[in-house]
Amino acid sequence: MTAETIIQSLASGLLMGLLYGLIAVGLALIFGLMDVVNFAHGEFLMIAMYATFFLFAFFAIDPLLSAPLVAAALFVFGAVVYLLIVRFAVRAKANAGMVQIFSTFGLAIVMRGLAQFFFTPDYRSVTNSWLGGKTISVGGIFLPEPQLVGALVSIAAFAGLYFFIHRTDFGRALEATREDAGAVALVGIDKNRVFALGWGLGAALVGLAGAIMAIFFYVYPDVGASFALIAYVTVALGGFGSVFGAFAGGIIVGLVEATTALILPPSLKSVGIYAVYLLVVFVRPRGLFGSM
Amino acid sequence: MLSVHEITTAYQGLVAISAVSIEVAKGEIVCVAGANGAGKSTLLKSIAGAERPRSGTISFDGARIDGKPQHMITAGGIAFVPENRRLFPRLSVRDNLRLGSYLYRSEANRDEPLDLVFKLFPRLSERLEQRAETLSGGEQQMLAIGRALMTRPRLLMLDEPSQGIMPKLVDEIFQAVKRIRDTGLTVLIVEQRMAECLEIADRAYILQTGRVLMKGPAAEISTNPDVRKAYLGL
Repeated sequence: MTAETIIQSLASGLLMGLLYGLIAVGLALIFGLMDVVNFAHGEFLMIAMYATFFLFAFFAIDPLLSAPLVAAALFVFGAVVYLLIVRFAVRAKANAGMVQIFSTFGLAIVMRGLAQFFFTPDYRSVTNSWLGGKTISVGGIFLPEPQLVGALVSIAAFAGLYFFIHRTDFGRALEATREDAGAVALVGIDKNRVFALGWGLGAALVGLAGAIMAIFFYVYPDVGASFALIAYVTVALGGFGSVFGAFAGGIIVGLVEATTALILPPSLKSVGIYAVYLLVVFVRPRGLFGSM
Repeated sequence: MLSVHEITTAYQGLVAISAVSIEVAKGEIVCVAGANGAGKSTLLKSIAGAERPRSGTISFDGARIDGKPQHMITAGGIAFVPENRRLFPRLSVRDNLRLGSYLYRSEANRDEPLDLVFKLFPRLSERLEQRAETLSGGEQQMLAIGRALMTRPRLLMLDEPSQGIMPKLVDEIFQAVKRIRDTGLTVLIVEQRMAECLEIADRAYILQTGRVLMKGPAAEISTNPDVRKAYLGL
């Protein structure tokens, strides 16, 4: 193993980690806002990837151009999921926790089923996109362009999110709702609106990730499952509900995955992530950046 | 201005207030006094929209407000400072106040009431960057009242503003309430400390186990022999 291979792996791991962070942040945002885990998060990613694929296949819109459209569509989808399903699930008089879990879990199964029915279980891919398959060499290290752009999009999205949360009135309303959803009505804020926009925002972020992922990953009905699992680990690692913990958690997961792949056979590449995850859960159950 | 007509509110089948009627006229300070569990907080929560009355009507400036969602009632001009204050604990004093003017976020002079808030509670202006949770009990109450004033209410409702506050500050808060009224606001205040409350109030109601026991001008109630014996310990 040469120093170059190590740097090469870590660089790829970092790029992938930034994408993991982008996938996970919506989950963290929604959890922080209303203590609800969206078990359909992976399926949100899946429909974003399909949307990107179909826009490419039928209208020849490159994923780089369709990414904002897909994010906007997912925003609407996320808000609608809140208004039609989650809003009622959180009002359950008995067993509220279970009702929440099964409502989003049920949604995930329905979405997967519909995708299999309408889109068939075939593996699809976006071929000959602008970035697909291209690499760029930086000082002897080869970086795949889709992942590089994905990492840049992720950094930009996090910067935008940071600005939004800390510098805008709606961001402040979001923070206030995280703090005490029952108190925002005292200043005239409708918490249902904040929740709906929070779901929209969370879905839009995973939509952005899905559009980029579609460039270099196969699109199929179950594609969300493995990435959602990583997203849950990322969120738990970063600290449940901490938006910027998800960013850091994503980078850690990416680097650990790359390091594991260097040491262990490829079939065991996920072992490292879950080992780190278990360690964090035992040593610091609230996550690395969690405050609770 | 505010007219509460025979409202009954229950929690899980337990009636907390029963056929309570109160009137508040513009520019008044009205005190609702009574022992713990008399239903004072339930009355304010019902007006604020935090609880839904089972029956009865509530009108504010001639329009029915019972059954409206809480945030709409706030937007309609009634600010409510609940018993536990419900500040946003990890946000700064500045952000808490700024959230108070959320309804006016698109207006250039959104923070107009801030002058009044700082005049009433100068110590808030010295603690703008502090997190709300680091304030003392009295300062938290000041911030809660300040945040409520930022919503530009016509009616301010305070639930036990003296609770959990050192005696020196209690007086400061009550004096501030008087000054708030002097700016043209109407105040409905719920208190266990009846003596202090009657001192600043124009009129008062006494609640007992969910019903109005007595009502009248504050001066009359505070000199009523039964009240003096039962509530003021005189």
